[in-house]
Amino acid sequence: MQRLLPATFSVVGTARKPLSHEEYREELHKAVGQYSRTRPLNEEVWRSFAEHLHFVATPDDAGYEELRRTLDQLDFALGTHANRLFYLATPPSAYEPIVKAIGEHRLRGETGWARIVVEKPFGHDRESALALNEVVHTVFREDEVFRIDHYLGKETVQNILVMRFSNGIFEPIWNRQYVDHVQITVAETIGVEERAGYYEHAGAMRDIVQNHLLQLLALVSMEPPAAFDDKAVRDEKVKVMRALRQIAGDDLSMNAVRGQYTRGFIEGVPAPGYREEPGVAPDSRTETYVALKLWVDNWRWEGIPFYLRTGKRLPKQSTEIAIQFRVAPHQLFSREALAGLEPNALVLRIQPDEGISLRFGAKVPVQGIRIRAVNMDFDYGASFMVDAPDAYETLILDALRGDATLFTRHDEVDQQWAFVDPIIKGWASSEAAGAPALYGAGTWGPTEADDLIERDGRKWRKA
Amino acid sequence: MAKGVVIDTMFWGARAEGVAALERELARLRRVQSAHARESVRPIARASVLNLIVYADREEHARRAARSISDLALRHPSRAIVVLADRGQEREHSERRIEMHCQLPVPDGARQVCYEQILVRASGDVDDRLASAVIPLLVPDLPVFLWWTGTPPIGSRSFGDLLRLTDRLIVDSADFARPEVTLPTIARISETAHGRFGLTDLNWTRLTPWREIATAFFDVPSWRLFLDGITGLRVGFAVDMDGRDIHPSQALLFVGWLASRLGWRPLETLAPSEAGGLLFAIARPDGARIMVRVRPRFERGLEEGDVSGIRIQATGETQHAEFVVKRQPDPRHQTATVLLDGERRWERTMPLPSPAIVELIGEELSILGSDRTYEAALGALVELA
Repeated sequence: MQRLLPATFSVVGTARKPLSHEEYREELHKAVGQYSRTRPLNEEVWRSFAEHLHFVATPDDAGYEELRRTLDQLDFALGTHANRLFYLATPPSAYEPIVKAIGEHRLRGETGWARIVVEKPFGHDRESALALNEVVHTVFREDEVFRIDHYLGKETVQNILVMRFSNGIFEPIWNRQYVDHVQITVAETIGVEERAGYYEHAGAMRDIVQNHLLQLLALVSMEPPAAFDDKAVRDEKVKVMRALRQIAGDDLSMNAVRGQYTRGFIEGVPAPGYREEPGVAPDSRTETYVALKLWVDNWRWEGIPFYLRTGKRLPKQSTEIAIQFRVAPHQLFSREALAGLEPNALVLRIQPDEGISLRFGAKVPVQGIRIRAVNMDFDYGASFMVDAPDAYETLILDALRGDATLFTRHDEVDQQWAFVDPIIKGWASSEAAGAPALYGAGTWGPTEADDLIERDGRKWRKA
Repeated sequence: MAKGVVIDTMFWGARAEGVAALERELARLRRVQSAHARESVRPIARASVLNLIVYADREEHARRAARSISDLALRHPSRAIVVLADRGQEREHSERRIEMHCQLPVPDGARQVCYEQILVRASGDVDDRLASAVIPLLVPDLPVFLWWTGTPPIGSRSFGDLLRLTDRLIVDSADFARPEVTLPTIARISETAHGRFGLTDLNWTRLTPWREIATAFFDVPSWRLFLDGITGLRVGFAVDMDGRDIHPSQALLFVGWLASRLGWRPLETLAPSEAGGLLFAIARPDGARIMVRVRPRFERGLEEGDVSGIRIQATGETQHAEFVVKRQPDPRHQTATVLLDGERRWERTMPLPSPAIVELIGEELSILGSDRTYEAALGALVELA
């Protein structure tokens, strides 16, 4: 629709089940008609696009041979020089056999480039991520591996870097001198939906914290990279991830809270408890909520806590980063005047309602002095009157172009697991900590999470 | 909500399926306005300095509140969430349902500010789930005002849930069915909240000119002495001709205010001489007895419950004094008189502002903290009750 793809390309779908080219095109037509950003579908454009769609079933070795022949034929016909991008939209358990098959059946072309895109989760702990990596590296070099964290494809997430590093006024105050603390929230209203089979084993820690939340943390806390390219940006992200202080042992209960939702209401509609969801064990101890207090042990952030929280069945869907600044060093105004004042905060709203707001105190227009916190708002939608591209559009196009800046490198994944693993292990082993704290669907998480931050004399933002 | 009641979408805006759809619709409306504004070279600002939740159980009240907020858009641009809940009707039979509508009303002459109005319309018994529909609508970080029209159902879950979100609760005790019961209860809730939310009462704001003039008497040095020698207090409040609608809350607040300022303590509640009136015996700090009479008066042109006059009697060292404030037959003026030993010594007539709801609300929205004087007056009432 936006004429971003090259003149010659083809998409070859493959799965274990057999489909004809026509059936495959029909399936895609339906899906695109339903989910595309540009609806209704332009049928003429679709017809010409659909000519490039093919399908090969790969239930066994013969199937993979057939796939190789198809790819070779297409290269010959289109002159695509055996440039190939493999996209794995499969359960993680299938990564290993597929990568092996790609190697054994020589699906990498002889002449062109080859890249592989894999989805999260990449492994389920540090060890399995390493093992998976070794398998992938038998066929693909690290610079050919594109690990997707779709959060990085979001416009507003990329805008964190733009805001920090293209403006002169923010970076000077982006440190322990001026920042009091940082809060990062990923709140979902949905429950576990149809993903109980996966979620029961993953929990919020693996589903959200290990990837999305730590990515947001890295982007907001990293040092300025020397260039906006894959190496420089990812080097800085890894560096800040290495500076994360581990939460383990006795620190666990003071710095990490896990919760699980019980029955409640979302937007006025009754919602079942987690243990009542289909596919969930009636005595499940899987966490659907996590709150963390963590420290970045480096020059810039020494002593500044980062509070992270994520959960399902929270009252409102919201992803945001709030940088809360220190209060003014000396207050001129009376206690009454200051009743409505809150510390300055810069809030980056990732979704929904993408934008940035800055909170500061202003005089209420009455006689005498009364101060009230007000928001200065930048609203993406109203300022740029175009729809932002979907995260996947951005990322797949980047992968086709070979730009890995917005993908997760292996050492990043490794560091993420290195941080998350001890917490998960601590929870699994500590009988004292017991089951997750319960919270009603439609509330902002368990009271233990409030205690986590209120112990420090701070409170969670009303997101 | 009776099935037959149809929401006027011209006024309340289009219905949205859920919060996400509603935010999308508001974003779309903002874009439309913003595009219009660009054409006419008048930039538009999305301005919001507060969240205002209005609770009403009749559409007429909800509408009136919405209009007031619209009139205040320039002074207090807000996200207004008007909750219209029908608690009474066919509770057993009606379906429990919460619907949402939204609109960006454009106040006259204020095209460059757009504020947001959301209607949350609840049908059936939604006491347990009402707050879950309101929470996701609040704009993050902004203070939350809760304007409860009518008598707050103390003890109900939805009131408690909404109050937990609130930085300032605004009530109008003129609307309370039994203020002598409700006022002290609210006072207790406010006290146990330990400053978590501020409390205010539009009726208290109406009382301001009366408090001002009463204070002004004792600014005069030679009359100040009488302040410690008060022996009697009479406060009249307006009722309709049949004397059926009795709303003594404004008058009671005046008594509570004086008691809290002057350190009076309750002695006993006596049987009043007239229907709808109240009679108390109160002790001054020095132990002397003060008779306080609150009595209903029929006067033309007054809103029911409005204070119609006050009379403070006091004895000094040698003289007996009376400080009297009366509304003029034209209710826009009041006359203050001071009598010493029965002889008129001073008299002055001044305009008596009678602010409309919109002005009262506008005033209250500019304050965020607690009104300590009001809370103290309420505290004194609790002791009297």
